[in-house]
Amino acid sequence: MPQLELLLAESDSKLPFQTARLVELWCAEPVFFASRELSDTYYTEGTIGNYALAYALGWARSPYRLTGQDTGRPRYLEDLTPLAEQCYILPAWHIEGNASFRFERFNALSDSYWYAMTNNRVATAREDLPLKRTGKKPNTFRPSNFPQTGRLRMIERGNRFQTLVFGDREVPEYIRVGKFTSKVRVDLLRKLTITPLPQGEYRCNAYLSAADIPSSLELLAFDLISMPPVSLLKNLRFRGAAWQVGDFILPANLKFCGGRNNE
Amino acid sequence: MSIEKLQPFLAPSYENFPKGRTIGVVVLRTTQSETIFRTEGTGEPMCSEYVQAGVQNTESISRLVMTKRKQVAPERRKGREFLRSHELLYTAPKSDSICALNTNAPCEMCIDCFLYGFAAGGEGAQKSRVWTEDAFSVLPSTELIGDRTINAIFETGTMRDEKGNASTALNTSEYIKPGVHFLDIVTLKDVTADELRYALGNILLTSRYGAVSSRVGRMENQILGIFGGIAELPSSLELVQGVYDKLAADGKALEHPFKTEPLIAAAKSVIATWTNKRGISMQLSADELDALIADVDRNWSLNEQETFLKRLDRSYASLRKVKSEGKKKGRDQQQEE
Repeated sequence: MPQLELLLAESDSKLPFQTARLVELWCAEPVFFASRELSDTYYTEGTIGNYALAYALGWARSPYRLTGQDTGRPRYLEDLTPLAEQCYILPAWHIEGNASFRFERFNALSDSYWYAMTNNRVATAREDLPLKRTGKKPNTFRPSNFPQTGRLRMIERGNRFQTLVFGDREVPEYIRVGKFTSKVRVDLLRKLTITPLPQGEYRCNAYLSAADIPSSLELLAFDLISMPPVSLLKNLRFRGAAWQVGDFILPANLKFCGGRNNE
Repeated sequence: MSIEKLQPFLAPSYENFPKGRTIGVVVLRTTQSETIFRTEGTGEPMCSEYVQAGVQNTESISRLVMTKRKQVAPERRKGREFLRSHELLYTAPKSDSICALNTNAPCEMCIDCFLYGFAAGGEGAQKSRVWTEDAFSVLPSTELIGDRTINAIFETGTMRDEKGNASTALNTSEYIKPGVHFLDIVTLKDVTADELRYALGNILLTSRYGAVSSRVGRMENQILGIFGGIAELPSSLELVQGVYDKLAADGKALEHPFKTEPLIAAAKSVIATWTNKRGISMQLSADELDALIADVDRNWSLNEQETFLKRLDRSYASLRKVKSEGKKKGRDQQQEE
C-alpha cells in the first residue's frame, strides 16, 4: 500500500470522491483511548475518531521512533493532508447511539523486591526511603505524569460502530485501533453514491471531525464531543454546500485537517 | 570453602531488582513427636491433598501437606529471637514500637524484613526472597494419622466437679504420628552469602512446627542438597513422587514407620539427576554440603553469632541512611543530562 502519495495539485472539482461505502466496525476486543482523564481514571468516549481510523486502515503510518522536533508534536498534517482527494473517513458512531463500557483496573507493579505505592506511581528506589522518612519528598516518590496505576473505561467487546469511507481504496477486513491496538472487524455494508446538494440549511446525521470541516461553512448548532486530538461534532445544523451520501447529509468537501498544508 | 562455589549465584550485596540468581535447598523434615498441621480449626482433619503417588505410578493417594506458611513462620520467628537478643530489630515507623510480626507495623529495616519481606507497612512493601513450597509426606496420609482424645479433669481427678457438674473439656483430635517424613524445596532468590547462612540457620535451628507447639510439633530438619542455578529446582511434589517411584521400584514396603536412611538415599539419588536440568547448573557435592553446613554452624555458634548477625545487619546500612544532599543533587543532574 502506498504510504504518502503527495498529491498537492489542488483541484476545484465539486466531487473529489465518486462513491462512499458504509462500513460497520465490530469490536472483537475492548477498545481504549484516553479521551478524558479524570484523576486516575482514563475514559474512552463512545466513538472512534477518524484520525485513528485513518492510521488503522493503513492510509498512513507513523514511524516507530520519533526523533528531533517530531517527538513533541503530532504528524497529522504530514501524514493525513496528502490523502485529500483520494480518501476520507468519518469518525465512527455507535449503531444504537450509546456504546457500552467496561471498567478495568490497572497497576504496573514493579519487579523489584521493594516497592511502594505512591501518588499515581510505584516507587522502587528503596534507597530513597530514609530520605522520605525525614519528611522530604524524593523525586521517585513524587506523583508521576506516567500513570502506573488507575482505572480504564474502555469500549466493551462486541460494540458496533458505523462510519463512511470515501474513495475506493481497499479496506482491510480487520484493523487494530486504540492504545492497546485492539482488534476490530470491518464489514462493508453498502456502496453509496454521492450527490452534491446546493447551498442551503441542512442537518447532518453523522459524526464529524471539527478540524475537517471547510472554513467557509456556517455552523448553526451542534453537540460537541470534546476529546483529543480533534473534538467531534454531532447533530450539526449548518448552512452551506452539502453532500447527500445515501441517507446521510454531510457538509461538502470534508478533508483531513481541512486540507491545510504545513502552515 | 564451599560457599565460594555458590558465588556465581550469590549477590554481593542487597539489590532491589532481581538478577536471576537462585539457590535451591532440598530439606527433609521428619516429625519427632505428634504434630498437628490443620487449617480448618480445632477438631478438623489434618491438611491433606489427593495427588498422584509417583511420576510413573499414576494412582492417586492422599498425602499430608505441610503448607508454606507453616514452614516459614516458625523459621522467621527463630531468626528474630536472635535479632531481638542482639538488638537488631528496629523501631517501626508506623507504631513507634519494636519490629514485630503480625502487627501491621514492620520496621522495614531489620534482617528479617529485608530477607523474608513485609507488606502493609508504613512505607511500601518488600517481597520475600525466601520462597517456600507446600511439602508433602512420602507415604499416604492414611498410614500417618492417629487419634487422641483429650480430657481436662478437675482437681478432684474426675470429670465432675464438687457440685457434680460434668466437665465439657473432652475432645478428640487427629495428629500426625512421629517419624513422618516431609520432603521440601526452599528457594532463595538473590541472597548474599550471609543471608544464605541466616536462612539455612533458621531452617536448621527451628524445631517446632504446627499447632500447640509447646506440647507437640517437634520436628527435625535435614538439608539433603544445595543447588545453585538460574531457575528453580523441580517442585517438592515432583521430588516426593520421584522418591515414591524409587522406593516402590526397590521393592521396599511403603508403610509407617519408614526408615530414614533408605529415604535419604532415595531422595539423594533423585536429586542427583537434577544437575543441568531446567537451568540448574550446579549441585554441591556431599563434602561441600557438609562444609557449608559446618560454615553455617560456625557462624551461628555462640562465639561468632553476634559478629555474624551484626555483619549481616551492617550490609543494609547504606539503605537506611539518608543520602547526603550534595550526592543526591549530583545524581539528579546526571539523570537530566
